[in-house]
Amino acid sequence: MISFDELSVGVEVFTSSRVVTREEVKAYADASGDQNPLHQDDVVARAAGFPGVVAHGMFTMGTLASALLERLGDGATLERLSAQFRSPVFVGETIESGGSVRSLDRESRAAVLDVWVRVDRNGTVEWPIRRGEAQIRFV
Amino acid sequence: MNGSVALEGRRYPPVRFAVEADRVRAFAAAVGHHVGGVPPTFVTAPELAAGLSNLLEDPDLSIEVSQVLHGEQAYEWRRPITVGEVLTAEATIERIRDRGATRFLTLRTELRDDAGAMVSIGRSTLIVRTDA
Repeated sequence: MISFDELSVGVEVFTSSRVVTREEVKAYADASGDQNPLHQDDVVARAAGFPGVVAHGMFTMGTLASALLERLGDGATLERLSAQFRSPVFVGETIESGGSVRSLDRESRAAVLDVWVRVDRNGTVEWPIRRGEAQIRFV
Repeated sequence: MNGSVALEGRRYPPVRFAVEADRVRAFAAAVGHHVGGVPPTFVTAPELAAGLSNLLEDPDLSIEVSQVLHGEQAYEWRRPITVGEVLTAEATIERIRDRGATRFLTLRTELRDDAGAMVSIGRSTLIVRTDA
């Protein structure tokens, strides 16, 4: 669990990594209801210009949220989360998510975090989420 | 693809969405949510039911699902969601911009509870590649 008092601007709050599997992406499709074949069918994904199926943007953002919430514990709630999906995530890749403090409001006990998801693709770092934003509020 | 400005403000019929335990469990496993409670991004499920599903059936848009990429997403939560409650999701086309063969469509989806109180607001920007 995290406490407001241990935060200051620039402090890294969390990092977490996860291997993305085809089975999990399919499970996400079924649970979310997003059955776009781009996320399940390699032929469709290739026709769209990708090397193979792409994880849902919200699979990636949901994974980021899970990592953040695990770090927060019962100490704070997630009030806002936003991101641009800048680069695809392919099955078999390892995504790493993390976040650091952008700003703090001591009066309302709220913090805004810069959040990100990155992946090492053939020696190059890609940023599926580069500078997302999360607002958390402490109890 | 014409008349995009006229489509802005289009509101789709509200959709009732029951937050079922099995589906929440499956969703939590898929996004690696291990801390209990309903994952905040579970709101994507009712959002899709009220939003993208309607867009794909809208003859004025004629969008194929495989043309759609997710460009951007923002959520604002007013309170946590609980298993067993029934939410009402209502989607509105907020903005459409066409750049060549690519259409950027921003959808705003509000989730309310049975008391009419706002639970969450989602804003989703979809990239529709009409030449794909």
